Amino acid sequence: MTATCTAAEVVEMLRAEGLVDLPAGADGATDLFEAGMDSMAVMQLIVIIEERWGVRLGAEDATREVLGTPERLAARIRELS
Amino acid sequence: MKADVLVIGAGSAGLAAAVAAARAGARTVLVERHGFAGGMGTASLVHTFCGLYLQDGDEPVWSNPGTLAEEIGRRMEMATGLGPVRAGRVWFLPQHPVVFAGLADALLREAGVEVLFHCELIALEPGWRARVLCRGAGMDIEARAVVDASGDAVAAAAMGVGHAMTDATSLQRPAYVCGVQGVRGGIDGLGLAGRIIDGIRAGDLPGAATGMHFRASGRPGEVFATLDLAGVERGAYDPTDPRCLAALEATGREVAMAVVACLQRTAPGWEGAFISHWPARAGVRESRRWLGEAVLTGEDVMAGRRFADEVAVASWPLELRETHRGPRLRYPAGPAGIPRGALVARRHERLFVAGRCLSCDHEAQASIRVMGTCFATGDAAGRMAAGGG
Repeated sequence: MTATCTAAEVVEMLRAEGLVDLPAGADGATDLFEAGMDSMAVMQLIVIIEERWGVRLGAEDATREVLGTPERLAARIRELS
Repeated sequence: MKADVLVIGAGSAGLAAAVAAARAGARTVLVERHGFAGGMGTASLVHTFCGLYLQDGDEPVWSNPGTLAEEIGRRMEMATGLGPVRAGRVWFLPQHPVVFAGLADALLREAGVEVLFHCELIALEPGWRARVLCRGAGMDIEARAVVDASGDAVAAAAMGVGHAMTDATSLQRPAYVCGVQGVRGGIDGLGLAGRIIDGIRAGDLPGAATGMHFRASGRPGEVFATLDLAGVERGAYDPTDPRCLAALEATGREVAMAVVACLQRTAPGWEGAFISHWPARAGVRESRRWLGEAVLTGEDVMAGRRFADEVAVASWPLELRETHRGPRLRYPAGPAGIPRGALVARRHERLFVAGRCLSCDHEAQASIRVMGTCFATGDAAGRMAAGGG
């Protein structure tokens, strides 16, 4: 539960959970909203992040800026750790 | 009562089947349990027509041109003023349940269909003789051909003949949709999602609230709230068990009321929001399926397989909702044909099936269940039934 979250781990988590349709070569810069992330997926995502990294994203984090790519999401998770 | 064609169920498939049969010259009787046609699109407030258009492409292209799928799509678009919307690789048409019920009345009236609302099929004998029940009183209908467009393969259950149903853990999960009014401004889906999560953490909302999402209806201040449910309030999910359905309906209302109350307190523009209407019933996506002369498979759909005897085209991706955590979409290589045999019941003369209970496997059903495709299979089944099949 320390500040070790990387973009690669976020990509791996998204693939495992099947929340979005990640393209084959998805990386830290992949646009998650392009990949089908919607409001329901966002709620699942916030719950899963809390389970995996022990970090609580709140209503103020439910934005395209924070959740738009694996890299930005990992950065926010590290920030809150 | 005597008819050439009897259609069971006036949902998107049955509506199209009855109109197509009557237009082909058949004396047509349509039996429906509600007081309006439209099925999922009216009774369950499902407010998008999916499957009307081919996937991909820069412009929406009709999947089943010249059929009632195109005609109903065009008439809906004219009535609401709302055109096709692109979402990723697919196009869908926003539709309004209130408009749809009126449009369905007009289609049935123009075609000269004899409509029996408030009736449930309780028995069906080959030949065909059907018994329907209206408020405790039976009525017999003799028909040359029958189309089962009940969504739940009600005719198969009434006759006690073999049918298929996926196991409880894999069945597509149900959706509970209600109408909300008094919302100011646009819908900030992400912001609402964040507030729902905060509400769950604060103990104000149940965990099931994560299945909730919203779409503007196109009318001022009106929003549809859609809740994907697990359906396991009373043990294993079984959409043919009234105890399961009762729990589903009550849970849908309970969660929706809690969510709207929470958003009234926390979401900008939602201070004056209120639930304005409940659905007549929760939206069941999958239950019994017929066994036909042919069985359309998920592999057929994914490969975009075409058939020499195809009667309609499936163009919606496999939209799997085996959990209540949102859809998983699998995109086919191209539009797939639906063979005639998938609409013809096995070992019965002049018994046709259409809509989400036609003969296919669980994966193919994830594509063909959508209303745009149901219009097309209904249209085909209605014409086959009128022609003597």
